Amino acid sequence: MTSKNVCDRSSAVGPVKGGPVKVHMKYYLAIFAVTLCLTPFVFHGTARAVSPDPTEQLRPFLDRIVAELKSTEFKQDPSCQQCQRIVDIASEHFDFYEMSKRVLGKQWRTLSQQQKDQFVTLFTRLLQYAYIGKVEDYIDKKIEFDRQRIKGNRAEVLTQLVDVNKTIPVSYIMILKGDKWMAYDIIVEGVSLIRNYMEQFRSILRDEKFSGLIDRLESKILELENENNQQETTAGEISPTPDAG
Amino acid sequence: MKTNFCVTIVSICLLLATAVLTPPGLSMAADDSTVDFLDDEFYDSELTFDESEDPLESFNRAMFQFNDFTYTWVFNPVATGYSHIVPVDIRGSVGNFFYNLEEPVRFLNSILQGRFSDAGTVLVRFLINTTGGVAGLGDPAGRELGFEAIDATLGETLSVWGVGDGFYLVVPFYGPTTLRDFSGDMVEGLALSPYYYWADGFEEVAAIYLGKELNKLSLHLGEYEDMKQLSFDPYVALRNGYFQYRKRIRDHNIPLYDE
Repeated sequence: MTSKNVCDRSSAVGPVKGGPVKVHMKYYLAIFAVTLCLTPFVFHGTARAVSPDPTEQLRPFLDRIVAELKSTEFKQDPSCQQCQRIVDIASEHFDFYEMSKRVLGKQWRTLSQQQKDQFVTLFTRLLQYAYIGKVEDYIDKKIEFDRQRIKGNRAEVLTQLVDVNKTIPVSYIMILKGDKWMAYDIIVEGVSLIRNYMEQFRSILRDEKFSGLIDRLESKILELENENNQQETTAGEISPTPDAG
Repeated sequence: MKTNFCVTIVSICLLLATAVLTPPGLSMAADDSTVDFLDDEFYDSELTFDESEDPLESFNRAMFQFNDFTYTWVFNPVATGYSHIVPVDIRGSVGNFFYNLEEPVRFLNSILQGRFSDAGTVLVRFLINTTGGVAGLGDPAGRELGFEAIDATLGETLSVWGVGDGFYLVVPFYGPTTLRDFSGDMVEGLALSPYYYWADGFEEVAAIYLGKELNKLSLHLGEYEDMKQLSFDPYVALRNGYFQYRKRIRDHNIPLYDE
């Protein structure tokens, strides 16, 4: 475990910056012609050559979130208003709608618009705990940007979360929307967060239908909120002096 | 020594039984497809799991509860105490030491799987870490020279040779696995890994195993709790995580670079 993932940085750095796109000339011309006619519609297909660099977008974004978590206000008031600010920042590059859609798989299409909205709201709050809760671990670790891969309008940015004695690979799976790369999944040590929830939700949907899933989500969120509040009170009781000073 | 021999024979028999009982077609979770998160087809494939592949679910759930209990009340407290007493770099070295002793087995498995360049990497790692890393306590081959650790188990070798998974299995004190992989691990541990082979009797084998696992756990404290806290059905979450992780480490053609 300890020695894994120590990658050959020298070779990893090389291919990161947008390599030449290998497209046959004829094909390229055809695309060019079509693009001229249909620019607004085929943006995704041809945006590749001029698309922004995913790593360049993700790096400052993650820096901002970590900085926010490190800020003193957040430490003193870890549950609440600050969280909203973090969620706001997170929404800039996390596509919660896309995540919700993917986590329900085929079921998504069977839902009404109202049900979809309801699910997106709740699932976003759950992810807030699943990911933002974990980001606190990021504070004393270093995020290294390893390499990236672009395929059409999708990109995978591989980062390494480096600690004293272990390195955890964390991949961000992103889709290009407009000129923004939006993450719709996070892969931690090869395990996709969305696909993991997908399997859990699948059996809940089968046994308890959509309303059952909503109930389960609501109670889970409540449970997580209570736990957070408890941690806060105990933390306050143990160390009142440093806070005051 | 005698007990070890018996256990070895038993596990080899178990392995043969697995091979006979599980036709190649029964391999789980579409072992052959490549892991590519950018590919929607891979993503949407009603992927991971067909309930029929966990026929022992009620037994497995009971074992999961058992492991959860022993983890929460025994191993986690002990590992936490241990992590306070022993500094993190020493615990890392202990982990490296065990890992290094297992390298020859990995070498053999890489060869049997036809992964010759990986076999070379494992061999180089073993030679460098045993000498330069002081009997494997350090990992200069990985850290300084960029020879990444390679994963190669007997379970994977068997899968390459066409032995199916059998079924999903949760083993007490061991965790999630499948019949094939568990048999492979037993044979590997008892017949091939030097530190079990040299041990005198079952008690010592158990002690070494627990020591090794405890050390590993001390480096991953809190991860299981996070998983449990955020999931709706921890049993399913762990099963899914096990298969996803395994598929990823056994896929040696993962596209990593920009084309």
